[in-house]
Amino acid sequence: MEYLVVLLIFVVFLQTRIMELKRSILCLAAQSGIIAGACFAIGLGAGSGLHAWLPGLLTIFVKVLFIPGAILRLAGKITDEREIVSDINVNYSTMAAAAFLVFGYLLVDHLLPGTPGRSIIAASILMIMTGLALMVMRKRAILQMIGLITLENGIYLLGLLITEGLPLVVELGVFLDVLIAVVVLVILTNRMSLSFMTTDTTVMKKLKG
Amino acid sequence: MDFLFLALVLYAMGAMTMLWPKRLEMAAHAIGMVLAAAASALTFLASATYLGTMCGWGVPAGMTLGRFGALVDIGWSGYTLVADGWSAAFLVITGLAGTIISLYGVDYGKAYRGTGIRALSGLWNLFLASMVLVLLAGDGFTFILAWEVMALVSFLLVNHESKKKETVHAAYQYMVMTHLGTAAILIAFYLIGSHSPSLLFSELAHNTLEGPLRHVAFAAAFIGFALKSGLMPLHVWLPNAHPAAPSHVSALMSGVMLKVAVYGFGRFVFYFLGMEVFAYGLIVMLVGLFSAFLGVLYASMEKDMKRILAYSSVENMGIIFATFGCGMLLVQTGHGTMAMVAFTAVLVHSLSHSIMKGLLFMSAGAVMHATGSKNVELMGALAKKMPATALFTLIGAMSLSSLPFTTGLVGEWMALQSFVTLGWQTGTQELRLLVIAAFVLMGLTGALALGCFVRLFGVVFLGRRRSALVLKAYEMPFFMLLGMGIEALLILVLGIFPMPMVQLMQASLTGGIMALPMVSTDAVVWNGIGDFANAASYSAYSPFMLMMLALIVTAILAFVLEGKGLYVQKDVTWNCGTVPTRRQQYTATGFSKPLRRAFDYILKPRKERTFLKKEHAYFGRSVHYNLFIPDQFTEKLYVPVQHLMVRLSALLHLLQQGSVRLYIGYTMIAMVAVLIWGVM
Repeated sequence: MEYLVVLLIFVVFLQTRIMELKRSILCLAAQSGIIAGACFAIGLGAGSGLHAWLPGLLTIFVKVLFIPGAILRLAGKITDEREIVSDINVNYSTMAAAAFLVFGYLLVDHLLPGTPGRSIIAASILMIMTGLALMVMRKRAILQMIGLITLENGIYLLGLLITEGLPLVVELGVFLDVLIAVVVLVILTNRMSLSFMTTDTTVMKKLKG
Repeated sequence: MDFLFLALVLYAMGAMTMLWPKRLEMAAHAIGMVLAAAASALTFLASATYLGTMCGWGVPAGMTLGRFGALVDIGWSGYTLVADGWSAAFLVITGLAGTIISLYGVDYGKAYRGTGIRALSGLWNLFLASMVLVLLAGDGFTFILAWEVMALVSFLLVNHESKKKETVHAAYQYMVMTHLGTAAILIAFYLIGSHSPSLLFSELAHNTLEGPLRHVAFAAAFIGFALKSGLMPLHVWLPNAHPAAPSHVSALMSGVMLKVAVYGFGRFVFYFLGMEVFAYGLIVMLVGLFSAFLGVLYASMEKDMKRILAYSSVENMGIIFATFGCGMLLVQTGHGTMAMVAFTAVLVHSLSHSIMKGLLFMSAGAVMHATGSKNVELMGALAKKMPATALFTLIGAMSLSSLPFTTGLVGEWMALQSFVTLGWQTGTQELRLLVIAAFVLMGLTGALALGCFVRLFGVVFLGRRRSALVLKAYEMPFFMLLGMGIEALLILVLGIFPMPMVQLMQASLTGGIMALPMVSTDAVVWNGIGDFANAASYSAYSPFMLMMLALIVTAILAFVLEGKGLYVQKDVTWNCGTVPTRRQQYTATGFSKPLRRAFDYILKPRKERTFLKKEHAYFGRSVHYNLFIPDQFTEKLYVPVQHLMVRLSALLHLLQQGSVRLYIGYTMIAMVAVLIWGVM
């Protein structure tokens, strides 16, 4: 488990430093893969049978294969590949992620002192906050989507840990939600790229009355 | 009691006509209006018999009373309906006006065929029912609920001709204003309710609210009800909403809805807040006096028939509230018996105003129906085309100018009487000065009202026609004439024999918490100012005597002048040797010119004169003259407030910039803050 957490934190920090679309998507896939590993670890630790395997398999199928695949296809279609303002933004988001990591550990120690999954809860808080920070700091729609999925992964991991396995129906529902959200976002980003010739969300300001 | 429930059921059935199929819309309208008239008549009967029994006229067979002799007293899971004398007095007003105006509406509403006529008659029933429910409500919650229904339904009725832009504007202005009023009333209920065991009126009466909060509660209640009755700084919705609404709706709103606000205010003052504080009565009286004077001043300036009437409503509500304040002062200074006269005057004038203003709005509707315009400058000589309408309007106008032998004088006479008592009995110099000022204002108001209605009647019905619109005018159909005729008859009958009305209205005050002593009605109306220690004399008005006197004087004059040919002389008006044309008669604007000059500093009229053609300084000119009287309160009070609010809301742009990232940032900050706050 501890190795998984270290890997996860590394991947999340890497995420804050990447500005290029395709690498960022691959990084997201890696992140989701680690989550899937955590799912297997927790699931098999708790019991056996379909319910132990299914969340991990679903994570692999939806979050490692389908979603990054869809976003990759989208990224192939659009032309402007790099975030225009990059350097300062990258450093700020890494700094923020570091702050969030400290914050996460502080939070866990205050709220749940002596809990066994201390590091993994802190990591999931890091993911939630960093996901939000990515959405705020990045301008381009695809990077914002990646932030959203990072956030979602964090929430999912936290839920998994605290409840030790959600009911199957709820898990399926959560996956369906993410799936549909991503589909909608992909379609909208595509439309945006068609209408504005860019996926920079700051141009959306033009739409206000 | 049973009559009232039957009435509510009939109103509900009437409201159901809204759902009838489109091809039956005329039938739905007729049935809805007839149901409304029947239900209102039942309301009137029930409350009038109830007040009759309180007068000691005997309990009629088959009438049942609730606990403590209340007209109605039932409860149903948190909703209570209780009606005592104070409610019954206003139920009489509602019932009477509702019956007559509904009859008028049977024919008037037909003009709305194809444009939501079913909605009009359905909402009409709902409107009447909501007003009856406000009057019946026995606890704060039921009251507010019914009050809100009344506000919303009246908004929909005002907005009925929503194809016109100014109608929508007026309706939304009304909506905003009325909700400010409701908010104020809610505050008052909240303050009182939080210091009593429950919101039941009987328990609110024993509230323990003390200190400054009590003043706040009074201020909130006064603002809320003053707004609904259109007192001066809060009247701005009224002159816009009345012209926008269909005429019978304006008649009902002006005749009844404004009185419902008086009911609510009385409920607060008599039962919840008391009159121990001198300033309460003083404020009410002063606000009332200024509304009366300014209302009639603006009424004399307007050219739109229904705006004239709306401002005249402001005037009359001002008189009613001034009298109310006078009564409060009398109670405060320990003259409960004398206060009885003032409060009776409030009720009597409310009733007569509902009759006469209903009549005049109906005749304004008739004129609109006939000519298609509300602008008095386009009328003239309508008396020849519509003799009956002209006669009824004349009677209504006389009553609104409070001429003798009309019901308009009865209430005002008693009001003046109580002002005299206030000055005479309380004895302090300040109050006497105040009463003198009140008399000056009331006198000015009366004179201006007379001028205003002479102008209205003269310009619309007399003289020669001012535009081609008059040519196609015609007399009104039966039901419209019936409605106006009954009102006109009532004005005369109640004006000449006011005793039963005064007695009924006085009876409504004797029960309940006030427990004012019943004064001999003869003393209230008939006897002159005399020995005040002797409870037998309070007032001096005898229309019957006056009428006899007037008849005798007329007879003597007729006898003296008979045969001398002095009073019949037919000739062409001398016009500097030329034949007078119809463009040379007084216009409405011209008629009110002296007033406009005299009160220039209050009215601040705006004039624009543009020369279309000017060949010489004195002839060959063609001028476009535009006169506009802005409402000073709108200009000086509401517009600045509006600008301030717009500027303040521009500050929100700092928060709301249209950037999605910023919004996510807010979420994030909030989340971090909550987490930190949770950990601490």
